[in-house]
Amino acid sequence: MIAARRGNLVTLALLAPSLLSAILLLVIPILIVIAFSFAEQDTYGGAKFGFTLASYRELFQAIYLPIFLNSLQLAAVSTIVCLLVGYPIAYFIALRAGRHAGLLLALLLIPFWIDFIVRMSAWMVLLGRNGTINSALLGLGFIEQPIRMIGTYPAVLVGMLYAFLPTTVLPIHAALNGLDKRLLEAADDLGATPLQSFWRVTFPLSLPGVMAAILFVFVPAMGVYAIPVLLGGGKSIILGNLIVQLFLDFRNMPLGAAVSVVLLVISSGIIVCYMRVLRSVEEART
Amino acid sequence: MPPDITTEPAGVSRAAIELIDIRKAFGTGAETAYAVDRLNLTIKAGEFFTFLGPSGCGKTTTLRMIAGFEEPTSGRLLLDGRDVTGVPAHQRNVNTVFQSYALFPHLNVGENVGFGLSVKGVAKDEIRDRVKAALDSVHMTHAIDRKPSALSGGQQQRIALARALINRPSVLLLDEPFGALDLKLRREMQMEVKEMQRRLGITFIFVTHDQEEALTMSDRIAVMNNGVVQQVGGPVEIYERPANRFTAGFIGDMNLIEARITARNGDQFTLEAAGSRIDFPCTLPLQPGDACILAIRPEALHFVEGEAGGSVRFSGALGEAVYIGTDTVYALVLADGTRLHARVRNGDRPMPQAGAPATLACAPSAIRLLTQ
Repeated sequence: MIAARRGNLVTLALLAPSLLSAILLLVIPILIVIAFSFAEQDTYGGAKFGFTLASYRELFQAIYLPIFLNSLQLAAVSTIVCLLVGYPIAYFIALRAGRHAGLLLALLLIPFWIDFIVRMSAWMVLLGRNGTINSALLGLGFIEQPIRMIGTYPAVLVGMLYAFLPTTVLPIHAALNGLDKRLLEAADDLGATPLQSFWRVTFPLSLPGVMAAILFVFVPAMGVYAIPVLLGGGKSIILGNLIVQLFLDFRNMPLGAAVSVVLLVISSGIIVCYMRVLRSVEEART
Repeated sequence: MPPDITTEPAGVSRAAIELIDIRKAFGTGAETAYAVDRLNLTIKAGEFFTFLGPSGCGKTTTLRMIAGFEEPTSGRLLLDGRDVTGVPAHQRNVNTVFQSYALFPHLNVGENVGFGLSVKGVAKDEIRDRVKAALDSVHMTHAIDRKPSALSGGQQQRIALARALINRPSVLLLDEPFGALDLKLRREMQMEVKEMQRRLGITFIFVTHDQEEALTMSDRIAVMNNGVVQQVGGPVEIYERPANRFTAGFIGDMNLIEARITARNGDQFTLEAAGSRIDFPCTLPLQPGDACILAIRPEALHFVEGEAGGSVRFSGALGEAVYIGTDTVYALVLADGTRLHARVRNGDRPMPQAGAPATLACAPSAIRLLTQ
């Protein structure tokens, strides 16, 4: 009994640093946001703490629905684009690159040591009206007028792809890298063409990686803020910049907090459902 | 013969596989090493043919070249008389049972066995019937809906066999298929596979490092070492008439004694071996002064006392004795320090004491004279 209790104490002591930082930096901020969402907006843009559902009532009015749909749509399209680009890259690095695989993975990750906003600014320079790409194309005589790229939907997708490519490639690469290459020989031996081998063996066995990649891209993409503003000109309002606008422009902190809470609930809901589906898929496979 | 995996009757003289001057190089320039070197071999249709050798001898590389997973650096490979050098594995009418079984973990047993038919676009009904028959032939029908991970090693082995044979290959390749099985199951599967090969008449090409397995299962054996075939022959020939020092030492237990020819009188040789003088009839083209090796099986040696005529004798001091049930293996230390092992049946005579002088003898016909 005493030994067990002491063991628990040791465990607690060892966990204390991470537990404390999680409570201070994660749990308490979330609780503050939740508290704000039930607060009342006061006249000067502050919040009067209390318990009112006014913000939530306002949130569920029809004007906010398209914003939620916009966010869902952007997250879904970004995820699809990331998978379409990321899967071949992961496949190449895991199965074709040989001894260069480590180098390629490093090249994929190195840009992500640079600050996010700096990298997005770089894209603004590249895609701008007088930016690198337009100057080059004009200089080479391919176009006569600069192409409008900044402020378009494709520019946002380029930014999303750039931001979420590593989180797409890494889990898929891990799944493909762990693939028993003898299974591909077996498929070859049994008469499968390379394409049949891919669809019947490689792809199904890489699905856990694909499922993880979807989760890693879709959920953060739901709350993304900087990319649509910087590269898309912030034209279509999505949850991320709605929250910023409510807090900073409209000084309506309770409503901003309510949007944050709803986003949190939706994301958590997606994660829980997804994990449940994933588990049942895994169980069916073994 | 079940209708699922029938094949044409074995034309014993027809060649199933011809390996013509096959070389497989690894590395380049001065670093080049040959995993397989100048391999010339014809494997007859319907034959149970085994590549036997220690690990790294090139046997698995040879098998992988026949399967199409690797291409020879030079030379040609004929399958049923057709040159298949450069033809990818999925276009060769050859199937493999892998050492690791390589069953698809995401497919159930039925889907695994039907994989080859499915990728070739065979109708679903036919696949279902043939899968059932193939599983029946390996006694695994009950497992059709199970996942490979739910099966034991021996069961996975059977599924791997069924998955290969359902495609009616002209040659079945088996890469150390019993390596992961325990001894009892291994014996059982050996019997079963041998019996299956006899029933189907398909050419089986088997790779193993286990000489006993090779001897019991094969019609013919190619003994390989360092990428070079040392000897090709039936089990009896390989065991009783090894062609060189490597085969003699690799197959079974063998005493190998350095010897030198001291005199020759027609086909009658006199040799000097480990301090003993031996008279020996032989037809090899050897001259006095030539070095050679005497190969004697331990079971061919027996203890003698006094002078018995007509046999070859070695005298020395008894070394360690190892009791192995029906027999005891004695070591006899000869005058020059060479150890000669004799396997003697127990109960014939009292166990001699270590250190005591003793003489071992064998019939001249039990000795193989090797030149390399």
